[in-house]
Amino acid sequence: MNVTKTSRPAHLQKALKATVAAGCFLALSTGIASAAANCVKGDRKAPYTIGWANIYSVPTWMKQTEGTISAEAEELKKAGLVEKLMITDAQGNAQTQIQHIQSMIDANVDAIVVIAGSSNALDRVISDACDKGIAVVNFDSLVNTDKVTAKINTDSGEWGRVAATWLSDKLGGKGKIIVMNGPAGISVSDDRRKGAQPVLDANPGLEILTETNTEYNVAPAQEAMTSLLFANPEIDGVLSLGGSLSAGAVMAFDRQGRDQVPITGENARQFLELWKEKDLKAWATMQPNWLGALSVYTAVQALEGRNVPAFIKVPLPVIDDTSVKGYLDRADKFPADGYIYSDYDKALFDNLIAQ
Amino acid sequence: MTVISSSDRLYRAIQGRRNRGLGGLYLVVAAFVVLYAILFPGILSMGGFAKFTQNWFPLALVAMAQALMMLTGGISLAIGPLVSLGAVIAATTMGGSLGVVGGVAAVALTGLAIGAVTGVIVAHLRLPAIIVTLAGSFIVTGVALILLPRPGGFIPDWLSDALAGHTPTAFLLLGLILLMWKAFLATPLGLGIYAAGDNPVGAFRSGIPVERTKVVAFAVSGLLACLAGLFVAAQTGSGDPIIGTPFTLNSIAAAVLGGVGFLGGKGTMRGAICGSLLLSVMINVMFFLGFPPVAQYVAQGLIIVSAVAVPELIHAWRAKR
Repeated sequence: MNVTKTSRPAHLQKALKATVAAGCFLALSTGIASAAANCVKGDRKAPYTIGWANIYSVPTWMKQTEGTISAEAEELKKAGLVEKLMITDAQGNAQTQIQHIQSMIDANVDAIVVIAGSSNALDRVISDACDKGIAVVNFDSLVNTDKVTAKINTDSGEWGRVAATWLSDKLGGKGKIIVMNGPAGISVSDDRRKGAQPVLDANPGLEILTETNTEYNVAPAQEAMTSLLFANPEIDGVLSLGGSLSAGAVMAFDRQGRDQVPITGENARQFLELWKEKDLKAWATMQPNWLGALSVYTAVQALEGRNVPAFIKVPLPVIDDTSVKGYLDRADKFPADGYIYSDYDKALFDNLIAQ
Repeated sequence: MTVISSSDRLYRAIQGRRNRGLGGLYLVVAAFVVLYAILFPGILSMGGFAKFTQNWFPLALVAMAQALMMLTGGISLAIGPLVSLGAVIAATTMGGSLGVVGGVAAVALTGLAIGAVTGVIVAHLRLPAIIVTLAGSFIVTGVALILLPRPGGFIPDWLSDALAGHTPTAFLLLGLILLMWKAFLATPLGLGIYAAGDNPVGAFRSGIPVERTKVVAFAVSGLLACLAGLFVAAQTGSGDPIIGTPFTLNSIAAAVLGGVGFLGGKGTMRGAICGSLLLSVMINVMFFLGFPPVAQYVAQGLIIVSAVAVPELIHAWRAKR
């Protein structure tokens, strides 16, 4: 798919754009207000049945995300907009996820909310759903196809870029660093790393000692960092790109009795607590769990005939020394191994959809 | 005449013995298929049947690949990575100068070659298959990630539609592969697989080239796993370097459910395929019954245990009477 996209000749793209523009003009001039969102045909009536096709429900981030989805569905039930929420868990198997989405099509749900287990594997089944007039909202791990109602995400490239910029500034553009990544072959992990590269290139004083690839969990990250500490007597900073990797790194430094170094991270409760406890020089951002709630809200809005943008870019919330306290004050509302996400409400969602 | 009828009787007796213990599985699978058809009558339409069998097909292929390994007395931990590699090779070659035919050939040759090399190491160096395939799984995963670091690549739309469109091509292919397996079993080499797995020393003394038989079995197993990858690539329209990972465990589960023994020479392909069908149809049935995900984990375990245990219990109960 990528191949065809990049190799599409420029003149064809121009022609396409012209056609689209002409189409828009036609729609406007004839007064047809075809405001309907992608995939939505307008033949489905509230209350809606929503399918939530999860790739893997076990990680805490997923459980918390599912929590926001269920809460949003409950809200919309009260408003008479949602009848039922069907939840599936593909147990990490993209092939099973295809099967689940196919079953949702067979069961004729009105909307499908999905985190993709593979950026390409779901393309065909999701196109099928879109053709059937099912509102498909895809968030977090995105699919390649554009035949969806909306894609919702933060910018993974920006994540890497901003994190690398903060670390580079903190170190004055000079020093030996370790880069901690999520698993190899996962788009999110790859995108964050790619986003960081231009900053690293622009600061040749930053020397990458080595990089790690682990699951986004504390234990494997701590283990990886522990062996790196033995091998590297001098480490000036850690560019950790997500999950609980940073908490694992900080604990490894602590166990070895090494001085903590500037570190980037995510809103994992454990990391934020360590930040305060060890008085770290740190910076964090997050993949807000309420992307799930926003997806359900967006799907229902689209079914109700509201025009929603094909891509909803959610700005990355930043946690720094001044805001970390506000997050820690709410810590007891979140699981000990969970993520403290920023607050959300309907007004925020409406703003994001209207952008 | 007497010779034919006695060999006929022997054949029936062997098939009967192989089917013993599978009766329960056949019943459970049939019950699930009927339940699924009641819950979702659309399965009886051409399109519905096509979509369902497409989702099942790759699992059926890896179940066969694993059953073949287990029949020789080994087990493969490289099935999943081989599926990934097959998908990656298909997605990276078909858009290039090789084209679709070249791509299919590349996938098939890779599967045969990796399987054969593994087989040579296992058979001639007398190393346990589980260790060799464990090492192989790391190598194959690495190669797949080098060829295609992140999901992508290209599969022509017409191929995707032909293999995984609204026609039951996958089901027909499965039938064809089963027929080919039957034909293969009728050859001395095919018969040798059971013999070499069940009793290698006896097989050797009866003049069966045990090593060569094992190498062939490994090669065919590798071929089936890579072809499953090719199908997954066509089904999804692209390649993904880690999409096959769950297939390793699922292939073992399907084969064991299907009555294929760990010690070699025991089991049937139809059993393994039935096992894979149960694993696949179970997912859809639980969805339509509206099981929450947590209950699905539990139910899945219970179904698998009971599919294996119930026939045993019935057998024991009958023996006691």
